[in-house]
Amino acid sequence: MISSNLRSLFGNGDIGQPVRAQEVSKLAPTRDERLFLVLSIFIGVISGLLVVSFQVAIDWIKILTLGSAPHAGQYRLLFVPAIAGLLVAALVLWFFPAARGSGVNQTKAAFYIYNGYISLRTVIGKFITSALALGGGHSLGPEDPSLQIGAGVASIIARKLGLSRQKLRVFAPIGAAAGLAAAFNAPISAILFVIEEVIGQWSASVLGSIVLAAISSVVVERRFMGAEPRFRIPAVTVRDSRELFAYAILGVIGGLIAFVFSQALGYLRPKMRALPRWTHYCQPAIAGLMVGVIGFIGFPQVMGVGYGIMDQAMHGQFEWKFLFALAIFKLVATTLSFSSGTPGGMFAPTMFIGAMLGAGVGSFEKIFFPHLTGTVGAYALVGMGVLFAGFLRAPLTSVFMVLELSGNYSIILPVILANTIAYLIGRTLQPVPIFEVFTHQDGLDLPSLEEQREETPLHIEDALQPLNVPVVRGEDTIATVAQTIAEARVSAFLIQMPDSSWYAMTLDELTAAGAAVTPGTPVERAVKQDRVPILFPDLPLDSTLPYFPRWPLLPVLNRASRGTLEGIITLNGVLKRYQSV
Amino acid sequence: MDGFEVHPPFTAEERAEKRKLIVRDFVALFTLFVITVVIGVLTYFLFSSFARHRDVLARRWRANGERLLRDGRPDQAIEALRSALQYAPGQRNIEIELAMALAADNRDLEATAYFNALLETEPGNGLIHLQLARLAAKQGNATLAEGHYQRALDGTWGRDGYLRRLSVRLELSGYLISRKDYVRAQTELRTASDNALNMPQKQIEIAGIMERAQDPSDALEIYRVQMRKKGAPLEAYEGAGRTAYGLGRIELARQALERAVNRPGFAKQSAAVQQDVRQVLSDSQRILELYPDPDLSVRARAKRIANAVKIARTRLTGCFASANASGEMANLQEQWQQIPAKLSLRMLERDPQLEQTTMSLVYDTEEQTAQVCGAPTGDDALLLKIAQAPLAVQEQ
Repeated sequence: MISSNLRSLFGNGDIGQPVRAQEVSKLAPTRDERLFLVLSIFIGVISGLLVVSFQVAIDWIKILTLGSAPHAGQYRLLFVPAIAGLLVAALVLWFFPAARGSGVNQTKAAFYIYNGYISLRTVIGKFITSALALGGGHSLGPEDPSLQIGAGVASIIARKLGLSRQKLRVFAPIGAAAGLAAAFNAPISAILFVIEEVIGQWSASVLGSIVLAAISSVVVERRFMGAEPRFRIPAVTVRDSRELFAYAILGVIGGLIAFVFSQALGYLRPKMRALPRWTHYCQPAIAGLMVGVIGFIGFPQVMGVGYGIMDQAMHGQFEWKFLFALAIFKLVATTLSFSSGTPGGMFAPTMFIGAMLGAGVGSFEKIFFPHLTGTVGAYALVGMGVLFAGFLRAPLTSVFMVLELSGNYSIILPVILANTIAYLIGRTLQPVPIFEVFTHQDGLDLPSLEEQREETPLHIEDALQPLNVPVVRGEDTIATVAQTIAEARVSAFLIQMPDSSWYAMTLDELTAAGAAVTPGTPVERAVKQDRVPILFPDLPLDSTLPYFPRWPLLPVLNRASRGTLEGIITLNGVLKRYQSV
Repeated sequence: MDGFEVHPPFTAEERAEKRKLIVRDFVALFTLFVITVVIGVLTYFLFSSFARHRDVLARRWRANGERLLRDGRPDQAIEALRSALQYAPGQRNIEIELAMALAADNRDLEATAYFNALLETEPGNGLIHLQLARLAAKQGNATLAEGHYQRALDGTWGRDGYLRRLSVRLELSGYLISRKDYVRAQTELRTASDNALNMPQKQIEIAGIMERAQDPSDALEIYRVQMRKKGAPLEAYEGAGRTAYGLGRIELARQALERAVNRPGFAKQSAAVQQDVRQVLSDSQRILELYPDPDLSVRARAKRIANAVKIARTRLTGCFASANASGEMANLQEQWQQIPAKLSLRMLERDPQLEQTTMSLVYDTEEQTAQVCGAPTGDDALLLKIAQAPLAVQEQ
């Protein structure tokens, strides 16, 4: 009823109503900006509430289906994930086709392709199908679906309020940050992840709203779930610098496992999608059955989200062999669940594998190198970041996630070391990040921050030419200037004005001026009112392009001394420089 | 600086449209607020309901875990307590119980790691230090164990901290005794006794441990203090009798044990305990019959000395006859030769010096024959008991 109320007020809020948007823009030019911030808070609060409900739904379904304490040898472990898979497949194929997958790429596609559009059906479908899958024991995580749910909430609200197309587009990442922050209970990591993976670029215009929404959602989430971090982090200290070697090894192992994980998903997912459509109904069920078998034979820890298991691993509750086995089985289980098209995220499994590897390395060190002081928890924590950096290829998020989860900056050195190693190994072995692999498999081509990182942007200094045109003073007469230009045989030249500004004049302009005034007139009186822009060698080269239709050449000044010319740039020189890249 | 921008004036229709737009936005935001409240209420009920269910599960699994731990099935207790923790994450008591279950299942490394992790978040927790002390003791790391015991004593406890610290001190004493560090154990026990002045049962327990710590004197003092109290427990009489007998204070032992056997609870004890108590009482009574008490009449004392001489000579003769004993006993025999062969009661009555010399020789004989020919039996054993502390026999 409320929804229809909104509709009656704003029609369907369709962005395809340019006349109305123009009217609104004329009547209230700052309306969108003002609503933007208020709505960010509403988006944060609603996303937080929905994510809390989502997590409760997952836990409740898990208790109802797998029991309150699932353990190896229980037959229900075999059939519950299979039945959940069957149900989820039917729901996805019949009712919620857009709910398939993790949700990160779908949100990114909404941002870049669909003008921020995510339907209400997708939000409902994501909620129901992901809750069923995760509660039923599939090895996936709730963060990515939460991200999509948040983005969907934002999209719906923005549409209903009839905001401009430009604003509508950026609402999806705001909601995504809110959803992820609530799911993760880590607002900084959520914000960074959305910037790194969803928007794919640093955008100051939405940063404020993203922060506002993320914080609002985390406040709501903590109101229900408590202010405690997701994991009980033991004290983290690095007293012996030799331990960094162990962390480096963890980085290497993490990088290699991230590569294996990426390869497995990159291989299996398209293979399973290419199978006949009728098999899509049973793929999640078969994946569920196989995950159930893993649980049945002795590793029920890999089923579901696994936060509790990560926490136990951090507190040294498992021996190193078991920890490594858990990491491997989780990798297999997640590959199966995700490749089958079961809705669910990759965050939690990635963190799980990383935590197990880290705790494994830490436990191994405790036994074989007891003189080193690092706690198992510290290794598990660093391990989470390592896989994040190596597999999800979000290095900034990976570092801040560990810092935010641990609340301890003394771990920053091992985190940066291990994450960098894992990131470099992952990038070397698998140049295309996993989310990008998925987008390519889905026939999409979306930008990424990693792409930008790979780019080497050109600066003015790259196209800078030595000063090869005459420089005259504004006080010089037109006759003197004309003689100088004639001797130099150039088509344009620079005039330094008495107020230290510059003017670039063409020969034609000088000729026209000479015909209009007496030859003894100072040239400064013959020029137009505008002046060339002030440019410095370190500015982006593309920033000069808008000036060339007006100016034949542009002077480049020294930052330390504005009167000193570093050189000039011309349109031809700029284009040649771009062509030579 | 929007406020200073010059806009072309709105027409009347545009002004009306603008007002309408403001009203629409206000209504939309209000509607959004209502939606948020509705979702908030629904989430609250959903979450509350789940939280209650989670609490029930946590309590159920915890109770299961505790029962399994009590039943000596720590492996199953571990799983149950882990399940409990899933539904009550971070609950300290369950975490400690889980770590205790790990320790009980001999998963010492896991248990130690778990306790250490718990300790990092609560460094002063006495119970965790106690558990770590037990694990360190189990692993033979005495320095670490004693350190954790000490920190457990200094650490924080719940409301019954006073009793818990006392209990830790007694456990530490037991550990020190097991390491034969009796001096430190005695010091801890004296402190424990001072801390438990108004706790009779604890005092009895402390006295018992003092006996194990080779401190019967302090133990006897505690038993005697408890004996004097109204409704003193049976253990106080038995302990006093036992320690007094051990110290050679036979008269005191007899008195305490006679009162012990007449206590109503005595018959309810096991037959073995009753037999032991009666044996000590019987020995005490016999020692008092053998002992030449200075308070006796001269004649009576002379008779006891003569009897002791007879017992000792028989023992010496028997021991001397045994192989390889002659060399070591030669000196003793020489001393006996200085005692008149036919020692009459009259000679003893007249000569207090002779009494003393004779009894001294009797005690030496019992002691040396015990060393050479093994532990004596019968009256010889009792004379030997007197020989260890002749002046304490009648001491109260």
